[in-house]
Amino acid sequence: MSASIEIAGVSKIYDGGVRAVDAVAMDIRQGEFFSLLGPSGCGKTTTLRMIAGFETPSAGAIRVDGADITHVPAHKRDMGMVFQNYALFPHRTVAENVAFGLRMRGLDKATIAAKVKAALAMVELSGLEDRRPAQLSGGQQQRVALARAIVIAPRVLLCDEPLGALDKKLRQQMQFELKQLQKKLGLTLVFVTHDQEEALAMSDRIAVMNGGRVEQVGTPTEIYNQPTTRFVADFIGDTNIFRGERTTTGTGASALDVGKGLILALPPTDAQGTGVLSVALRPEKIRLSPRGDAAIAAGSSAHGIVENTNFLGGAVLYRIELASGHRVLVQQPNAGTSRLFVPGNGVTLDWTPADLVALKD
Amino acid sequence: MSSTAAQRPNGLALFILPSALLFALFFFLPIGLMATMSVLTGNPVVMPKVAFTTRHYARMIDDPFYLEVIWTTIRIGLVTTLVALAIGYPLAHWMARIKSRTGHALLLMAVLAPMLTGIVVRTFAWMTLLSDKGVVNQTLMSLGLIAQPLKLMYTETGIVVGLVHIYVPFMVLTLTGVIGRIDERLEQAAENLGASPLRAFIEVTLPLSLPGILAGSLLVFALAISAYVTPILLGGFQIMTLPILIYQQISANFNVGFAAAIGIVLLVISLLLVIAYNRALGLVSGQRELQ
Repeated sequence: MSASIEIAGVSKIYDGGVRAVDAVAMDIRQGEFFSLLGPSGCGKTTTLRMIAGFETPSAGAIRVDGADITHVPAHKRDMGMVFQNYALFPHRTVAENVAFGLRMRGLDKATIAAKVKAALAMVELSGLEDRRPAQLSGGQQQRVALARAIVIAPRVLLCDEPLGALDKKLRQQMQFELKQLQKKLGLTLVFVTHDQEEALAMSDRIAVMNGGRVEQVGTPTEIYNQPTTRFVADFIGDTNIFRGERTTTGTGASALDVGKGLILALPPTDAQGTGVLSVALRPEKIRLSPRGDAAIAAGSSAHGIVENTNFLGGAVLYRIELASGHRVLVQQPNAGTSRLFVPGNGVTLDWTPADLVALKD
Repeated sequence: MSSTAAQRPNGLALFILPSALLFALFFFLPIGLMATMSVLTGNPVVMPKVAFTTRHYARMIDDPFYLEVIWTTIRIGLVTTLVALAIGYPLAHWMARIKSRTGHALLLMAVLAPMLTGIVVRTFAWMTLLSDKGVVNQTLMSLGLIAQPLKLMYTETGIVVGLVHIYVPFMVLTLTGVIGRIDERLEQAAENLGASPLRAFIEVTLPLSLPGILAGSLLVFALAISAYVTPILLGGFQIMTLPILIYQQISANFNVGFAAAIGIVLLVISLLLVIAYNRALGLVSGQRELQ
């Protein structure tokens, strides 16, 4: 049966004082697809390895369904793991690889054979039972690793960048299949990745990690639309970050003076307080129009000149220099109706103040 | 195939010449000479009339003494190999898996340092330890554990102890390379699937290190059966092995033909082992070359 995991103030300090993981706390719910997302060296893999039992936390506790397993050895944790390089046993056949965990559990031969057959059917590898890992493609090896991990009906499935070595098409297909399988089996799945698109596409919830700490935990939409820290806003997708001093406009509304004459109207929710503030504005939340002569709304629009364009297919990413000298990214859908600008075009940008997201530094 | 491509190997062939000469002069020539001498009635340099004979080989097969010497040599080789493996494997595993660089350097030094001392010196050191009035016997007697000195010198045990000490580094270095190339995550995957660390070792690491076990064993065995100084000094001519026999035949009996025949027998034993090794490797890792 799938289990919930509670990571309570876990730290990992290596010899030499390197804090790989620093006071990480999160609750992973039963049956949830939970991603640990962050750049390399952020502590996500170390966290996963501590859940698996390959590393012992220097401080804190890990609980599975409420029971403390911090010091339970790896082989008694009943967790499945898919390794980054799959870690298939090269000297054993596909069937023997999948049967390994069942054999360690002392099941009888007939049961093992039946379960192996079912697991291989589930990952669509029937007929390859007698091959060796070296005779399989990357995608097939990935499926064997997955079958080997889920055949033991683990309480938790741990995946360490399992799709990293696959090419893009295959990766997307495996993302879809893994997600389907996870929902079908009701698995609690902890998924480590540095690929933000992958995390956004697959996860129920994401923990964004940086420098050994958790920056933010939330659903993909929360992480994308309401990043709470500068790091999260910057790491997930493209974004424009403005930093400035809070002021009050002539009409009494709260605004942010980001220098060089550019003043951004702040949404009412972020209006409290004074002092320095950083805000994020996603490129696709900015509307672009040819520069007209009409006066523009102060605080939520600006003039600029297209510096360069980046055609993405479904959308176009513009880099625009504002009259104030700030450079911003603007993304427009490549809809048939919208005009495509070229470098040198004068444009008017406008946005809704509510789309500005205040960030913690 | 252009003419330049065909000519280029000829130019490169010149670079092979030194090593080809070396091989011819110091490998094929001596072994060819030895093989020739082993089937001649005498030394053609000093005796003008020599004839072809198989009597040297017949002598070895007919006389149980020589068969006994062959068996003793093989037995010492086997025991030395097994003991070196038993000591060397854990050490090699430790060296291959140790995280600390300093720790690795220290272990490597500990393994290599004895090799900087000559075999004769190391064997004399063992003599002071193992003789009737040596350190081991004196210590055990003063502790009251034994009344009479243990017979450690001039026995096969003594020879094996000395040989193991000399040849363990070869086993360790061979095994460390092989174990070091086994991905640690394979053991972790096994543990993750419910195997205890010991079980993970038996199921994963041990079979994957088999090529290293075979190579290291072959090396140590070949060195042990051809060892000369240690069996003489620690065996004191009480234990007869093939290399000692060769020495005696040449220096005392001047029977070069018989000595050559013994040499060939030693060579054949080693060759048979190399062939068996290749067969065994093919069996255990039949599919490995696909990787």
